[in-house]
Amino acid sequence: MPVSRYIVAVSLLLLFAMTPGLLVAQEAPGWLEKDENWAVKKVRLQAFGEQFNTAWDLYQFLEQAADGGETLSWQQMDEAAYDWSGIFTRTGGGLSFDPDIRGNVTTAQLTPAGAAARQRKIDQLAATGGEYDPISDCRPPGYPRWATEPFLHEFIVTPNQTWLVNEMVNDVRRVYTDGSAHTLPEDAYASANGDTIGFWTDGMLVTHTMYLYSGQYQRGTQPDYSDQVEVVERWKKVDGNTLEADYWVFDPVNLAEPWYTRQSWTELANDDNFLRIRYWDCQENQNNDIIITDEGTSQFPDFDFIENDAAVSTDEAVKNIPR
Amino acid sequence: MTMKRTLYSFLYLLSFILYPVAYAHHSGAMFDGSTVVEVSGVVREFQYTNPHSWLLVDVTNADGSVTTWGFEAEGPSTLMRAGIRKGDLPPGTPISIRGNPMKDGRSAGAWIDAVVAGETINPRNGFAVIPAAE
Repeated sequence: MPVSRYIVAVSLLLLFAMTPGLLVAQEAPGWLEKDENWAVKKVRLQAFGEQFNTAWDLYQFLEQAADGGETLSWQQMDEAAYDWSGIFTRTGGGLSFDPDIRGNVTTAQLTPAGAAARQRKIDQLAATGGEYDPISDCRPPGYPRWATEPFLHEFIVTPNQTWLVNEMVNDVRRVYTDGSAHTLPEDAYASANGDTIGFWTDGMLVTHTMYLYSGQYQRGTQPDYSDQVEVVERWKKVDGNTLEADYWVFDPVNLAEPWYTRQSWTELANDDNFLRIRYWDCQENQNNDIIITDEGTSQFPDFDFIENDAAVSTDEAVKNIPR
Repeated sequence: MTMKRTLYSFLYLLSFILYPVAYAHHSGAMFDGSTVVEVSGVVREFQYTNPHSWLLVDVTNADGSVTTWGFEAEGPSTLMRAGIRKGDLPPGTPISIRGNPMKDGRSAGAWIDAVVAGETINPRNGFAVIPAAE
């Protein structure tokens, strides 16, 4: 091979290698149904995510594969694919971010820093038998932890926005599907749920979320995520009462590889229409006040049905509260 | 009503398979999960609030004094899913109630279940996922 051709070939390879998202031989997998072969499918979806360096690369790849996505109309909103009405809750998985696995294990491939952060949580539990959760005073759980919260949810699809509502702390994520770009980096700031854009393709809502606070996937032994975390989701209504979503979480601080999970929400029976999203306020009942103790665990400081908590309690955290 | 209660009792057992025991909004560090306390008295107040509900029960002691116990459950939506509504437990309702007590000796606990008018109610049933008809 002449030297000039060799240089051209190497240059082309380098060009592709430096263009994230383009050096992907595998096509984007369509929606993979959760069935008896789920374990194999899950490995495939994990491997698909691992081909990308960043969540944004993955999102752009899916967007290109969908030719930019579809524009929805109001007339389509009563079609089964877009009718997400009803009151939902997480289908299963307890407080585990990966609902396929329970207990004190994780399917996340953690970096040394991520593993150390998780070990600190495990050590805290072993040493004190407890912990303190920042959401105890109604601070938002944040995202992607949002996916694990077990209470009521509503999902509202419109042509230009989809609202993903969590009853807990009146928590709403908005997905902009009107072609909006992310907030410009120079104007962006972090928040609990970040900034989410998305597009529709073949009855699926594909999203990308960034500009997030750091946090934890859940209490207990679930790992932490950094403020560099970004997530690609792919939502689909898979039957008359079930919504599922592929989650690919990228976090260069805590994850050695993107973490793929399949999240799921089930529409609840609500024949009397009594289940509704109602306001959630930690301040309305004194008995729901929670303080953090010196050991890093949780405690009720002052019940309204006990005349003198400090005189009754054996906990120094309660005795030492200025009154 | 009885059939409904039977269904909820079944779902109570199911809830331990489907979901971890309560305290979904805060750590359960303050409760002694290895101990169960049971008291009988009358409902003083049902604080049907988010993020947690509290059932206050006045218990008459042997010396005639009254101790108020507070039992924590999840918030209204989870209680509704368990079939427990605010109007089910008005003040004065006789009740026997069980909970995991506070570690620090105060008269409070995490509500496990209760017997009202001969029927068992289980707030943790509210974590069972009962799908809507397709």
